[in-house]
Amino acid sequence: MPSRDKGHSSISSSDQELVLSSLEPEQLAGLKKHHIPRRRLGGPEKLVLWSLRIYVLFMMVVVIYQVWTSLH
Amino acid sequence: MDAGPLSRVTPQDITQQEDVVITHEDVDRAHDRVRVSAARARRGVFSKFRLLWLLVGPGILVMLGENDGPSMISYAATGARFGIGFFIPFVVLTFCMALVVQEMTMRLGSATHRGHAELIFERFGPFWGWFSMIDLGIGNFLTLITEFIAVRAGLGFFGVPPWAAIVSALVFLCLAVITHRYWTWERTLLAIAVFNLVFVPVALLTHPNWHSVGRALIMWKPLPGGLSQDTLIILLADIGATVTPWMLFFQQSATVDKGLTRKDIHLGRIDTVVGAALAATAAVATILATAPLFAHHMTAENFQGAEFAQALQPLIGRFGAALFALGIVEAGMVASVTISISSAYAFGEVVHRPHSLNLPMAEGRAFYSALFLCAATAGAIVLIPGLPLVYVVLLVNVIAVLAMPPALLFLFMLANDREVMGDLVSPMWANAVATSVVVFLTLAGVLFGISVVAPNIFAFLHGK
Repeated sequence: MPSRDKGHSSISSSDQELVLSSLEPEQLAGLKKHHIPRRRLGGPEKLVLWSLRIYVLFMMVVVIYQVWTSLH
Repeated sequence: MDAGPLSRVTPQDITQQEDVVITHEDVDRAHDRVRVSAARARRGVFSKFRLLWLLVGPGILVMLGENDGPSMISYAATGARFGIGFFIPFVVLTFCMALVVQEMTMRLGSATHRGHAELIFERFGPFWGWFSMIDLGIGNFLTLITEFIAVRAGLGFFGVPPWAAIVSALVFLCLAVITHRYWTWERTLLAIAVFNLVFVPVALLTHPNWHSVGRALIMWKPLPGGLSQDTLIILLADIGATVTPWMLFFQQSATVDKGLTRKDIHLGRIDTVVGAALAATAAVATILATAPLFAHHMTAENFQGAEFAQALQPLIGRFGAALFALGIVEAGMVASVTISISSAYAFGEVVHRPHSLNLPMAEGRAFYSALFLCAATAGAIVLIPGLPLVYVVLLVNVIAVLAMPPALLFLFMLANDREVMGDLVSPMWANAVATSVVVFLTLAGVLFGISVVAPNIFAFLHGK
């Protein structure tokens, strides 16, 4: 059975059973440490990601310029 | 049903792992799920409605939450400046875009039980994850500032001093999360968020010409005055009023926190559709409410926040104007809660700290601290004298649109990731719509950029 952590000693065994019977395993907060494998990005995917990143950076400069011209 | 890689964790794994800790967060969520299972097991129409009632929440909250202070002020500025002909169908279209996008986040959350920030970090690595977090952090913080601007402006209509308005918004935020129970928080906020529809009676008080409204929806008139930099800003602000990065992060995390599973996806869709319909109704009502300012040749340029309410007072009376101002206050207050929580969820997911509204204060110090710190800092900034309120508000929505394409790309890739989603990957039509949204938003941003760099380009193109 899952252990009862010192910080959660107020959780009764009936509550523990309720959790295990009604939640899906991946829903347990303690199991969120289970890592999902990293996705290998292909060339076209990297290209699109970088293009949009450059787009955002450029547009932020444009917005700052727009604010500056409006305030002056 | 093909379940994806996360289902590798089995109940047997749990019983074998001595270090798996059952938390209060799990217990609260389990109690919610027991009620869902009981409602699902029963037959009859009432049980079906009860099941729907138990499962709605994140979709309605995200949509009504996005009808926030800057959004309502953008819609008000739209109605006052351009009337209804072009913008009513345009706003309905933007909500259709939001619906497609938000359904993906609900599906991702239900299928993976992971928040959006967590999934981006896990699947794409910290390099892309941090870019995404920086976009979200900046966008959320600026938007939070504008929520407090809205609260300040709305309460200003009733003579409440700015400092008292900000303090009341922060107290509201504390009260909203004080129960440390997702279910209570969600129901309380839903009850308050529905007040967003107060713009409907305000619109009715202006006695709209329904024939014109119907014609606007069917005919979709061209932009009055053609395309210019000012029109583009309003266009982008209206798009940013319906699709923004925080919505993606919030709905997915709230779906996970609520405990939705693959079985609940159908009702999660209904939740999102109902939210979009309610929010679109409030948005259209706001445009209708301020359209008389356009018809009476009044402009929004000199009005700040709830000063729209003051401008409307001669047309709809003190009561109608007060309702309008209250609507702005509600929009700001509800969104200040949802956006702060969106930031706190993302923060918890990225730094691997507990992140749930079911957490008692002792277990969720980092989560609640992030939430309150963001809100308090944003609130303090609003008290700086001389802030150009309407300009800041419109600009924040513009920034939200500009940051949206990369956020949508991550969402698009995750929703089509068979290793994560199994057979719940997006269908072709949804991919086509999502791609169109990315292209549309990028083009709108590029047009805005061109208009800033070459302000006279539109006049030149019009041959003026």
